[in-house]
Amino acid sequence: MKAFAYVNAANEKEAIAALGPERGRMLPLAGGMDLLALMKDYVAQPERLVNVKNLDRTVAKTPDGGLRIGAAVTLAALAQHADVRRLYPALAEAAAEVGTPQIRNVGTLGGNLNQRPRCWYFRNEEFPCLKKGGARCFAVDGENQFHAIFGDGPCHIVHPSSLAVPAIALGARFRIVGPAGEREVTAADYYVMPDRNLYGETVLAPNELLTHVILPAPGTAKSATYEVRFKQSHDWPLAMASVALVMNGQTITSARVVMGAVAPVPWRAEGAEAALAGKRISEATATAAADAAVKGAKPMTQNGYKVQIAHTAVKRAILKAGGIAVV
Amino acid sequence: MADEQNPPAAPPPSGPARTWPPVADRALLGKPIRRIDGPDKSQGKAKYTYDIVRPGMLYGRLLSSPHPYAVVKSIDVTPALKVPGVKAAIALKDPAGPTAKIWYQGEEVAAVAATTEEAAEDAVRAIKVEYEILPALATVEQSMSANAPVNFPKGNVSAERLTLRPDKADVEAALKASAHIVEGTYSTQVQTHTSLETHGGICEWNGEKLTAWVSTQAVHATRDGLSRALQMQQSDVHVITDYMGGGFGSKLGPDVQVVIAAKLAKEAGAPVKLMLTRKEEHLITGNRPSAYAKVKAGVDAQGKLTAFDAETWGTGGAGQGAGFNIPYPVYAFGVLRQRHKDVFINAGPQRAMRAPGHPQACFITEVVVDELADRLRMDPLELRMRNLPPAGPDGQDLPTQQWRKYFPMAADKIGWSRRHATADTGSGPIKRGMGCAANRWAGGGSNRTRAACEILPDGGVVMRIGTQDIGTGTRTLVAMITAETMGLPLTAVKAAIGDSEYPWAPGSGGSTTVGSISPTVRIAAENARDALFAKVAPSLRVEPAALVAKDGRVQVKDNPAKGMTWKEACRLLGVQPISADGAWQQGLSSSGTSGVQFADVEVDIETGITRVKRVVCVQDCGMIVDRITAESQVYGGIIMGIGFALFEHRILDRNTAKMVNPNMEFYLLPGMSDIPEIDITLIDQPERGPVGLGEPPTISTAAAIANAIANATGARVRSLPLTPAAVLAALHEERSGGTR
Ligand SMILES: Cc1cc2nc3c(=O)[nH]c(=O)nc-3n(C[C@H](O)[C@H](O)[C@H](O)COP(=O)(O)OP(=O)(O)OC[C@H]3O[C@@H](n4cnc5c(N)ncnc54)[C@H](O)[C@@H]3O)c2cc1C
Ligand code: SF4
Repeated sequence: MKAFAYVNAANEKEAIAALGPERGRMLPLAGGMDLLALMKDYVAQPERLVNVKNLDRTVAKTPDGGLRIGAAVTLAALAQHADVRRLYPALAEAAAEVGTPQIRNVGTLGGNLNQRPRCWYFRNEEFPCLKKGGARCFAVDGENQFHAIFGDGPCHIVHPSSLAVPAIALGARFRIVGPAGEREVTAADYYVMPDRNLYGETVLAPNELLTHVILPAPGTAKSATYEVRFKQSHDWPLAMASVALVMNGQTITSARVVMGAVAPVPWRAEGAEAALAGKRISEATATAAADAAVKGAKPMTQNGYKVQIAHTAVKRAILKAGGIAVV
Repeated sequence: MADEQNPPAAPPPSGPARTWPPVADRALLGKPIRRIDGPDKSQGKAKYTYDIVRPGMLYGRLLSSPHPYAVVKSIDVTPALKVPGVKAAIALKDPAGPTAKIWYQGEEVAAVAATTEEAAEDAVRAIKVEYEILPALATVEQSMSANAPVNFPKGNVSAERLTLRPDKADVEAALKASAHIVEGTYSTQVQTHTSLETHGGICEWNGEKLTAWVSTQAVHATRDGLSRALQMQQSDVHVITDYMGGGFGSKLGPDVQVVIAAKLAKEAGAPVKLMLTRKEEHLITGNRPSAYAKVKAGVDAQGKLTAFDAETWGTGGAGQGAGFNIPYPVYAFGVLRQRHKDVFINAGPQRAMRAPGHPQACFITEVVVDELADRLRMDPLELRMRNLPPAGPDGQDLPTQQWRKYFPMAADKIGWSRRHATADTGSGPIKRGMGCAANRWAGGGSNRTRAACEILPDGGVVMRIGTQDIGTGTRTLVAMITAETMGLPLTAVKAAIGDSEYPWAPGSGGSTTVGSISPTVRIAAENARDALFAKVAPSLRVEPAALVAKDGRVQVKDNPAKGMTWKEACRLLGVQPISADGAWQQGLSSSGTSGVQFADVEVDIETGITRVKRVVCVQDCGMIVDRITAESQVYGGIIMGIGFALFEHRILDRNTAKMVNPNMEFYLLPGMSDIPEIDITLIDQPERGPVGLGEPPTISTAAAIANAIANATGARVRSLPLTPAAVLAALHEERSGGTR
């Protein structure tokens, strides 16, 4: 990797001061599970790394009964946290399935939510693709079996974060700090499509940091995440879904259904949400919602099979949230 | 490394007839013995080539071509020399000469040596190369298409080879007369060896003499290869391989990278370590070629296989050797024909890989056999049993063809009687199924193998043999056989291997190591022991032939009380150790193994994902030397077979011929949680002597899994790997008309 300078920031303020406005030159370093690999592959070549592992890593209760989680918490700690598991099973389940135990022990919430795409053209310096400032997307008529089945390009990555998916389903807000102070955006607004930001995947400016994930009280919502993985470990989901079903007795009053690994951003399935409202949780409702969720999918040349897999993920996430045994 | 690798044995050197000790007398042989170097390996004390650091050592790095097909127009290494810490930089392509052409991605273009790995990496990136990029061929379809550019000197496709040659009329008549015919196209993917320790070595010059620590599965061939490439005397090259992290057929010589390390070391005047990166490992160190077959096969109404006609092709990248023989020679088809072509593409050339040709041929044949059974509505096991080769004149199957015995054993273990006819009709998306397949392998041993044994005056024993432990447990076997012969505990002998200055032994390929070294070590040990007996006999006033070495003593066979401890016996040597040589002889080892594997799988038909629940294996390997290391070969083979079945796939971008997954993230390998219960029954054949086992256990796994998936789902996947996409596509096809 290219030589770089290292700043060990003691707190948010120092970290922000050490970052700069130019994309890619100064980068926050959390667990390094993603960033170091990008640097070894010469895809990222920062001049300076700013350690952000000293940021807040606590999981604190909020006055309204939700949780405020510091970005430096590790995935392992998140997956094991009693309050997270009790209040937000969709999030705990997603954290527990990431990568391998080593990755979860080192990788952080902030790093996970801000990790870069795994598109194999993006990760390989020999392919100067659109996202890296090049002229074309190699996936379009190339090897796109793991690429997006939703979205209009011009870049067809799937967003890699499995935690972003439940974050949106659960209505999370992200606290962001930067030189001008702090702001909050919803998780859903945090991620943007390539036509809005081709060179990054979020609204975050290069000199800003994501410091906290704030989850509203779950109320009567039942949540779950279901991931379809080929290999059981050290691999990525082919597709996944997180759902949060707000219940009134046995009836779903409103729902959030979000699919992962299917689009450049976690993909909200509003059709599925509408299909669930007013229904009871059953195989039939779940199937109808899954049908609605994949409606409008636009698979590429090699990834048509992912439509079926996304369908299964949605169906099973709904049943899982309802406590109905899925395989 | 093909079956034919080992020439038939020359007449054995004259000498006493040799035998293994009677089974009842064996203290170590055939027992489960832990690897003697296991503790060192698990504690990190065993130093692999990758771990070795020499004083003043530099780090070498290659500049590999990013382009799969190109001409090097110019190379300027001078910017590399300006990078601080760089001591040497050499161009490896001559823009003006015949080497200017690049045939595949990753081909080495230049190399540097520097004081740190980082400086070396910076330096290769500083080298300026001008390429003329040419349109590359990425797939066999592209190469075979009529309007493809001709990228290879002898054309993109080799001449057709008729490997089995009945008249066209015979095959067609036999097919016509068949009650049922199966017709389809079958294929297997390119698999890379993915050795955990990448290829490479450390080269250190001492004047005109070279010492090379190399990650190789052939210390002697590496010595010879280095001396040829560097135009040196063989005696001036010394190759050492104490421990190595996997080769699977891809490390049978010095390769370009070690020759380059030697050149860099000379230029820099310091030792140079050059280990390939993971990416280079995938790109340039070989692979299992792909296989394609258009098959037409028949069966008569009684379940007798009638004919097998195949048009086959495959690619070993820019290299030759994509051949494989079908039908896989287990079942007796009436008439056979295979016409084969190698197809060239702009990708790294193939190399021997664990049972070259066999997993491909086994997959294609065993799937066809299952499909024929389906046509007949016959239990596929029954069809197999009916078509095994006929027993010999004595009514017995050959010891190398024991499938008639093994199939029922394995069927019993997996619970074949519970197997449903094709397609699990149970409710729910998870479908269960079973499948099976058979394998065979030659193994054997090299009659040129030699060993040297020393018995030291203080009682120590050293066995030197120029073999290497590719990970199979060879070091442990050398120690076991020596200790058994001397009547000593395992810890009392030193197994000295992995050094080209030790007596010649073949490369660890073709599953020939155990068949080469076991007889030779036994004979060298016996010769040394007998020389000791000759020294000791007079003082016991008996003939040397009356003595035995047992339980740490040298004693009279019929009167064990008369004797002395091993140490006392050795003290009689005074100052002069015993040195004895051993030459391989026939009769202490054999060739030929057979085995079967059964798989029990679950397929989720809503995701296309297969989970292998259980693999049952019945396998022979002649006389078992060490039960633990033998079983671990089978575990490893099956796990690799699961990788071949489900996960592993070298994926080239179809438009550029560059590999998109030259890593261990998207080049999927089975991890711990993907490994099922593996149930191994090893059949001991003590009368045959040892036969190699490294390759056979990886042959049938994929075929058994593919057949199990079809049994579970009713949908037939005719290509590997059995990915969710492939399984879902077959299910879809099955629903809309049928895959069978
Ligand atoms: C084999 C494998 C399998 C994996 N499987 C999964 C999976 O299934 N699901 C999944 O979600 N992930 C998966 N991962 C990815 C892994 O979870 C992430 O790499 C990890 O969570 C990143 O966290 P980190 O703390 O190490 O981030 P780092 O690598 O340190 O940082 C990642 C990125 O985020 C930026 N960053 C870090 N912290 C902040 C912050 N506070 N604010 C703004 N930007 C920040 C960094 O600059 C960098 O660009 C897998 C990884 C591997 C190697
Ligand atoms: S999908 Fe995006 S990242 Fe991948 S090749 Fe296309 S533009 Fe590049």
